Amino acid sequence: MGLFRRAWLTVVSEVAWRIPGRPQRLLAAFALAERGSMLDMLSAVELTERRGLRKLYFRHALDEARHAALFAGRVRSLGAIGRAEAAIEDSGQLVEAGVVAGTTLFERLGEEEFLSFVYVAEADAVEQFEVLLARRLPDPETAATLHRILKDEHFHVSYARTEVERAAAAGRPMRRSMALHRWRRVGQAWLRFSSDFGALMGGFWLGLAYVVGVGPFRLLGRLEPGGWQRPERGGSSLAAARTEG
Amino acid sequence: MPSYVLGISGLYHDAAAVLLEDGKIVAAAQEERFSRLKHDAALPVRAAQYCLETAGIPVSRVDWLVFYEKPLRKFERIVSTAVATFPRSWRSFPRQMHHWLGDRLWLRANLTSAFGVSPERMMFCEHHLSHAASAFYCSPHDEAAILCVDGVGEWATTSLWRGSGSAIEPVSEVRWPHSIGLFYSAITAHLGFAVNEGEYKVMGMAAYGQPRFREEMSRLLRLDSEGGYSVDLDTFSWHWHPTEPATARLARLLGPPRFPGTPFTPRLDPLAQHHADVAASAQAATEEALLHLVRHAHAAVPAPALCLAGGVALNAVCNGRIAAEGPHAHLWVQPAAGDAGGAMGAAMWAWHGVLGNPRGPALRSCALGREVARDRTAELLADLGARFDDLGDDAPERAGRDLAEGKVVAWVDGREEWGPRALGQRSILADPRSAEVAERVNRSVKFREPFRPFAPSVRAGAAPRYFDIPAAAASTSRFMLSTHPVLPEAQAGLAAVTHVDGTARVQVVDADTSPRFDRLLGAFEEATGVPVLLNTSFNLKGEPLVSTPVDALAAFARSDLDTLYLNGFRVERMR
Ligand SMILES: [Fe+2]
Ligand SMILES: [Fe+2]
Ligand SMILES: [Fe+2]
Repeated sequence: MGLFRRAWLTVVSEVAWRIPGRPQRLLAAFALAERGSMLDMLSAVELTERRGLRKLYFRHALDEARHAALFAGRVRSLGAIGRAEAAIEDSGQLVEAGVVAGTTLFERLGEEEFLSFVYVAEADAVEQFEVLLARRLPDPETAATLHRILKDEHFHVSYARTEVERAAAAGRPMRRSMALHRWRRVGQAWLRFSSDFGALMGGFWLGLAYVVGVGPFRLLGRLEPGGWQRPERGGSSLAAARTEG
Repeated sequence: MPSYVLGISGLYHDAAAVLLEDGKIVAAAQEERFSRLKHDAALPVRAAQYCLETAGIPVSRVDWLVFYEKPLRKFERIVSTAVATFPRSWRSFPRQMHHWLGDRLWLRANLTSAFGVSPERMMFCEHHLSHAASAFYCSPHDEAAILCVDGVGEWATTSLWRGSGSAIEPVSEVRWPHSIGLFYSAITAHLGFAVNEGEYKVMGMAAYGQPRFREEMSRLLRLDSEGGYSVDLDTFSWHWHPTEPATARLARLLGPPRFPGTPFTPRLDPLAQHHADVAASAQAATEEALLHLVRHAHAAVPAPALCLAGGVALNAVCNGRIAAEGPHAHLWVQPAAGDAGGAMGAAMWAWHGVLGNPRGPALRSCALGREVARDRTAELLADLGARFDDLGDDAPERAGRDLAEGKVVAWVDGREEWGPRALGQRSILADPRSAEVAERVNRSVKFREPFRPFAPSVRAGAAPRYFDIPAAAASTSRFMLSTHPVLPEAQAGLAAVTHVDGTARVQVVDADTSPRFDRLLGAFEEATGVPVLLNTSFNLKGEPLVSTPVDALAAFARSDLDTLYLNGFRVERMR
């Protein structure tokens, strides 16, 4: 998968970086991903049973927080204030982009699986940043930022690898779990794509429903007048309280 | 065996869960504090879990789950608005339907799968009734007029109720699309701030301007002779546009919008001054509208007390004016006046209004959320290699001395606050006397716009020496919900917490409800002679208030604060 992934990343990076406005989007997406990973790491600090790893998780979380701010700063300087602000401040974006869900990674995976996921995800990030730099795509300041961030990412990869290797040496099926995570990440990208596509199709049908189902009743529709009105209510009986309408 | 009622709000704005045990609040918490996503609107699964754990019961012991809205009535409003605004609503209709068909229409089933409560044990409280209940049942008043003002619930955007004993009766309402809350949000967006987040900034910016656009505002928000109002539906577009709350007419009327993130330098930049004037005009129009509604409420429901809730009730400047100029002798505002508070109101309505149980004591403290466990904290600090002292119960005195030395202190103590204000459980504290310290707080952690003032906390006995708080604001000032003049002779001594217009959003601290925070203020007073502190929420920009020790340590490490107090542990800067 290595070569194939690298080729894919190269194509995507080349395309993404050359369309006006796209680099900002990509950097904003990085900022969101870093923020999401900070939340996952803090959850690991909270929940870990391996007290020796706590400090590493904590440092990792602080790194990711810093990266998020660095990326957002770059987006801002490249002239997309709204999006950069949103990437840093609007939590709704984290949910929309699928960066966070109802539970944290640590809660979903447990410690060992979490570590192998961290290894896979961090290695992917390193690869993506390296492709960007190797192709000399970013402007000098963004490149300098990426270099700074890469140093931390290498540290994340290396401590996670140490833990994964330790577990493998103890006979745990780490190779399988890493492969699983790799495929899961591909699967998730596909799911995101297909749900975007589904929304697009759904939007089409709902648009049609709007024209056919809503339009003909236009003359019956009326907005409420302003001012105080007499309320119409179901009251506070138990039967009324139990209904949804 | 006690009865349990679980109130839930969510899916639109701030999600929250509140658990009542025989009508008494066991725990109340907003989902954002757990998920760490500010204003998290997802169903509050973790907050509810926390409430159950605090009570020590499994979910099977919950007698009623009460949701804070009637979803089908809201759906009806959305469909009939789409019909009435055809074809302009072509963009918003598919989006809305996507959400509704996706999950909101199947709410009962979704609540069951999220919380594990069976569908027969559910109630649904109307949105504005949830707000009304959250204010009235928490208040100490047996008879009151209740006024709720927000963006929109099902149909109502403003509602008036009569509260009497355990009963709340509807009196009248203003309906969608006419809405003061949405009017204020539209101006917020025009001024380049995020809706549902930047409203406080408009309020702060208003103090720098003159209300030069009164005339224009009165066209946008028209007060009528019956004590109600309507908005200009040709200028505003929130009823048919999915993202833009106003049409281009707004800019023609009020001038160019402010670009998000523009530095605010009113003395140097005429456009910034123009925007400050727009903010001042919108704020003044909102205050006038609220006073107009409040006078009507007093005429329609003659009672000495007024209870307020709904997002607009978080406008502390409005509340200050209602207390000072309005006809009511007592004002009571739900501290979580926004939609989070709906969870509390919904549960209380079920308990008192539906099940007919008598009223309990009034809400006197917002410390209803998660607590910091001392043993876990000690373990965590050791694991992270932090430098710390265990001061135990002597922490308030030591913190007071740190503050007197000019340190900026993060103070985490006891159960976290219910509602958006930090009230001495998750606070950043500093010396209120010099503007230079406020500047340092801003630089080291808050990074906020200069037009957002910092608030003071003052010991109850000393409050009249510094602030002009009307008698009607006795309870709102306890929860930092109203803004009042700083006495002229005190302003120079409280430079860090006096806003440009000479006011402050003050918190009056009672020794009986907040004993440790009062001791801290006392220690600072002993060292400096000043019983006042700068008190701002302990969070980083764009994040909710810190909740756990891990949150606190991470925020501490990412800021430039001098010292962190964590339930009796004093933590030094980690380098
Ligand atoms: Fe990173
Ligand atoms: Fe990383
Ligand atoms: Fe509301």
